Amino acid sequence: MGDRVSARSHSGRAPSAGLSLLGRNWAFAFLLITLVVFSFTGKNFLAINNFQNIVHLATTGLLLACAETFVIITGGIDLSVGFVMGLSAVASSSTMQQLYAAHWSGPASVLVGLAVGMAAALASGLAAGILIARYRVPPFIATLGTQGIAIGVTYHICGGFPVWYLPPGLTDIGNAYVLYIHPASGAWSFFSRPAGIAANQVKELVRLVPVSFILIIVFLLVLWHLLRNTRFGQHTYAIGGSMDAAVRAGIDTRRHLVSIYVLSAALAGLAGLVDLFQSGTGNFTTFGAQLELFAIAAVIIGGASLFGGKGRVMASVVGVLLLKVLENGLNLSGVEPFYRYIAVGLILVVAVVIDQLFPDLF
Amino acid sequence: MKQQGTFTSFLGQRWAALFFVVELLFFSVLAGGFFSLNGIQIVLFYSTTLALLATAETLVIVTGGIDLSVGFVMGFASVVSAKLAVALSQRGASPETAVTLAIVLTLAIGLLPGLINGLLVARLKVPPFLATFSVQGITYGISLLFTQNGQASGVPNLANAIGNGYVLHFVAGRGFSLFTQPKVQFGTFSLDILPTMVVVTVIVIAVAAFLLKRTRFGQHTYAIGGNIDAAIRAGINTRRHLVAIYMISSFLATLSGIIYMLEYVTGKSDAGSSFMLDSVVAVVIGGASLFGGIGTVWRTLLGVLILSVLEMGLKMMGVQTFDKYIAVGIILIFAVLIDQFFPELVHKED
Repeated sequence: MGDRVSARSHSGRAPSAGLSLLGRNWAFAFLLITLVVFSFTGKNFLAINNFQNIVHLATTGLLLACAETFVIITGGIDLSVGFVMGLSAVASSSTMQQLYAAHWSGPASVLVGLAVGMAAALASGLAAGILIARYRVPPFIATLGTQGIAIGVTYHICGGFPVWYLPPGLTDIGNAYVLYIHPASGAWSFFSRPAGIAANQVKELVRLVPVSFILIIVFLLVLWHLLRNTRFGQHTYAIGGSMDAAVRAGIDTRRHLVSIYVLSAALAGLAGLVDLFQSGTGNFTTFGAQLELFAIAAVIIGGASLFGGKGRVMASVVGVLLLKVLENGLNLSGVEPFYRYIAVGLILVVAVVIDQLFPDLF
Repeated sequence: MKQQGTFTSFLGQRWAALFFVVELLFFSVLAGGFFSLNGIQIVLFYSTTLALLATAETLVIVTGGIDLSVGFVMGFASVVSAKLAVALSQRGASPETAVTLAIVLTLAIGLLPGLINGLLVARLKVPPFLATFSVQGITYGISLLFTQNGQASGVPNLANAIGNGYVLHFVAGRGFSLFTQPKVQFGTFSLDILPTMVVVTVIVIAVAAFLLKRTRFGQHTYAIGGNIDAAIRAGINTRRHLVAIYMISSFLATLSGIIYMLEYVTGKSDAGSSFMLDSVVAVVIGGASLFGGIGTVWRTLLGVLILSVLEMGLKMMGVQTFDKYIAVGIILIFAVLIDQFFPELVHKED
C-alpha cells in the first residue's frame, strides 16, 4: 500500500544537493516566498510584534500538528485531537471554577484543574491506543469513536457554554512576555511590566519573546529530538515503514502504538491548557473548527505520507506556520475573511501542484 | 481458515443489519411516536441529505480516496440554488421557472468542484486528502462571499411545497390524491404518505448503486481501489475514471444541497459542515475499507439509517442531542470490534 502511494505521488524525485540546505520540501521555500510577499503587501506585517503574534496564536496548532506527526508516521491518524483539546480545556477549567468557588486558593485550584484536564486527555489517548494496538481497530475509526465520546463528555461538563469565573491571573501567565522594556524611561523587567510604569503607559512598552514562544520551542526541541535521535523515534518510523518488519525486528509494536496515541492525546490536552491560559476561559471545540483537519493538512504539507513511514517534526512546523502566515498576511493585506478561505485553498493547490509538476524545483 | 458456525458467521457478516434491528426495537419501545407512519417518515426525511453525501463518499472511498469537500459543496449548492431562485424570480420569472432553472443551473455549477478535485487527484497527483481539503476551503469562501452572512433566504414558497411535499395524500372518505394536499376541514382523518424528497433520494441512490454494482464503470471503480497499478495495466483509463468519480461525488453533494434548500427554504453555507465526518462514518459502518476496493452503496445506506435512527430516536426520547456523539462513538468502536472477532468473515484480505 505504501509503495503504491509513494510511487504515485513522488515518482522520480531526485532532490538536488545544492538546494537541500534550503529544506527538502516545497513548503519551506513557499513559506519564505509568502513572508517576502506579505512584507510588501501587508500593513505592519514585517514587525516583531506581528511575528510574535503569529507564533503566539500558532502555539495550539503547533502542538496538535506535532501530535498528528507522530501518529501519521506510524501510518495511523488521530481524528480526536481537536476535541480532546476542548475536553482538556473544559475539564480543567470547570474543576478550577468549582474548587475556586469552594474557597480553595487560586494556585491550588489551578494545579488540580490542570491535573484533571491532562488526566481526561490521557484517558482518551489510552483508550484509543488500546483499541488500535490491542484490538486492531483501524485508527481512523478508533479515534473517531473517542472523538465522539470526547465531544459528549465535553458538552456534559460545560453545557455548550465556555467556562467562566476562573481563578484570576491565568491570562497574566499565558499572555506574558519574557522581557518588557520601556524605552522612554529605560526601565525594564522580566515577565511582567516594570514597576513604576502606569497602566496607561503599557502601549509604550516593548514586549519581547512571548512565554508561549519559550514553551513551544522547548516542546518542539524535545519532540524533534525524540523522533530524530532516540530509539523511540526509530521504532516510530519502523512501524510506519512496515508493521510486519517492525514486529519481526522485535519491536513491541503494541506498546509502542499505545504510547504514540497517549503522546498524541497528551499534546492535544496540553494544547487545551495553553488555550485556557491564553484566553482565560475554558473553550470547548466547536464542530466547524476542524482543528484535526488543519493539523493533518499541516503535516501533509510538511511532506508526510498518510500511509506512514515519512514525516518530520520541523517539516510539520513549517506546514503550520505556512497556514498561519497565509491567514495573518492575507488579513493584514486587507483581504476580507471569505476571500481568505478561497485564497488559502487556492495557494495550497498551486503549491502542491507546483511540487508535483516540478519535483526538482525545491 | 477456521470454519465457523452458521450463527456466528451470520452475526459477523450482518452485524450492522442486526444492530439496526435492535436499534429499531429499542426506540419503538422507548421513544414515543417513533414507531408510527410519521415517525418513520421523519427519520427517512431527515436522512435524505446525509444519504446522498454518504453515497458520494462511498464512490470515492471505493477508489481508495476520500472527499473532504462534500459537506461544503452541499452548503455551496444550497446557497447557489437559493440565490439563483431569488434572482430569477426578482427578474419576473414565475416561481416554477425560477425554481426549476435554479436547480438545473446549480446541478451544472456543482460539477465544477468535482472537476477540480478530479483533475488535481488524477492529473496532478495531489493526495485526495489535500486536494479536497483545499477545494472545501474554496467552496466555503465562495458561498460566504455570495451571502455575506452565510445565509440566503427569500426563496419562492414553491420550494417549500416541493421540499416538504408528499407523493400521496389520503383523506378519509375522499380517497387518494397525488402530490397536492387537498384542503380538509380540521378534524378530518388524513394521511400524508411518502415525502417527495425521500422518493427522489431513493431513486438517485438506486441509480448510483446500480452504477457501482452492475456496470463496467463500477467494476473499474473497484479495480482502481483494489490496485491502481493493476488497473492501469488492465487498460483502464484511470485518470479519466477518477475525474468522473470526483465529479459524480460533487454532483451528489450538490443534489444534497439543493434538497436542503428545498426542505429548509434557505441556503446555508455551512449546511453540511457536520455531515462530512458523518458521511465517512456511514461508509465505514457499511463495511468499506478506507484503503479502497471494498464497499457498496446499500451497506452505506444502512450506515446512514443507523446514524439517523439514532439521532432522531434520541431526540424523540428527549435526550440531549450531544449524547448522540457518545453513542456514535461507542457504536463505531463496537462495530469494528465485532469485525475483529470475526475477521475471516468481513475482510477478504489482511
